[in-house]
Amino acid sequence: MKKILEFIKKNKLLTLVLIAYIVVLIISPEKALSAVKGSTYYLKEMLIIMPVVFLLTVVIEALVPKKLIIQGLGEKSGITGNLLSLVFGSISAGPVYAAFPICISLLRKGASIKNIVIILGAWAVIKVPMLANEAKFLGVKFMAIRWVLTVISIFAMGYLMAIIIKKKDLPLEKEEDTDTILAINEDYCIGCGLCAEILPKVFEMKDSKAVVKAIPYGEEAEKQIAETVEKCPANAIGFTKAEE
Amino acid sequence: MDIFTILFWVVAIILFVISLIKDKKKTFEGMKKSKKMMGNMASEIIAIIFLIGLILTFIPPETIKKVLGSSNVLLTTILAALAGSITLIPAFVAFPLAGSLVKAGANIVPVVAFITTLTMVGIVTFPLEKKEFGTKFTLVRNLLSFGFAIVIALVMGVFL
Repeated sequence: MKKILEFIKKNKLLTLVLIAYIVVLIISPEKALSAVKGSTYYLKEMLIIMPVVFLLTVVIEALVPKKLIIQGLGEKSGITGNLLSLVFGSISAGPVYAAFPICISLLRKGASIKNIVIILGAWAVIKVPMLANEAKFLGVKFMAIRWVLTVISIFAMGYLMAIIIKKKDLPLEKEEDTDTILAINEDYCIGCGLCAEILPKVFEMKDSKAVVKAIPYGEEAEKQIAETVEKCPANAIGFTKAEE
Repeated sequence: MDIFTILFWVVAIILFVISLIKDKKKTFEGMKKSKKMMGNMASEIIAIIFLIGLILTFIPPETIKKVLGSSNVLLTTILAALAGSITLIPAFVAFPLAGSLVKAGANIVPVVAFITTLTMVGIVTFPLEKKEFGTKFTLVRNLLSFGFAIVIALVMGVFL
């Protein structure tokens, strides 16, 4: 029973949909069957695209330096960054939710909100195969005008969103809670330098306050850090281990 | 698979291999992180997919066609925009549907409103977007998208 409750709590939406299906199944089994059939197209679409998204988020995380993302898509990337975002969103494939993990990875690495909104917009709306389809059924002129208007709208939305939404509005930190976090509370640090002495690879002194230099990974390193945290006389070091 | 999806695959695999060669450790760490991030999304994505099937069963394209073809343009436009926001119809169904309506002489504004909100506004994907980007971001982005879709539709009506 406890396990079931936990599942429901963790998968609220899935539970709701499941209940909806059960209700429909009782009232009209035919409709439920047709709904499942209708879903298979989207299921296929997801299975085709999500592995790519997985690979790309790994690449962004591991291969692409932060500096490059800040330069290309950061706050100061300007119109070039906006155009880059538009092109990237347009040439991508897959449904818009596939863009979410990629955008989160980019945000963490320093991309601006404006550019993320442009990527999301372009990813959702501007797809070359879709444009071809539109031109075929509604005419080239129709497609071209709608494309121009859409691009203008996406840029306008990027600019507006950047004014309304700040990075602190995003739940990015929450996401990082589950990662290894090592931080020094400046207000508590008395600048004794003990941590930098024990683990010079991890801590260093700056303006007579300790700062985190780098977070090493691995069990051994974690053990060492945990020991150092204990030794800090001011209890100023916060350390959360990554959840497995 | 269309050519873009294939290209997407090819590029992703090449980049991933480069990443593996360049820094194995970091790549594995990245895989761990991504696995966690996408694992968190998985249940919601599956829920959304089956929700789409359910919505499509109760609001089939034929119903939407009926709504889009009615004569009160203002009301129809808003209804069409709402229908587009709620449903997620594949492009290869939506565009022929829109094309046949325009050919049959329907007003263009609601048709554009529908096909624009269809991709721009995602009510079904709202829970997922909210989880990743927060309520404020998601709400503002979708509301703005809705507004802009209506504007696009109205301007299209002037041009065509």
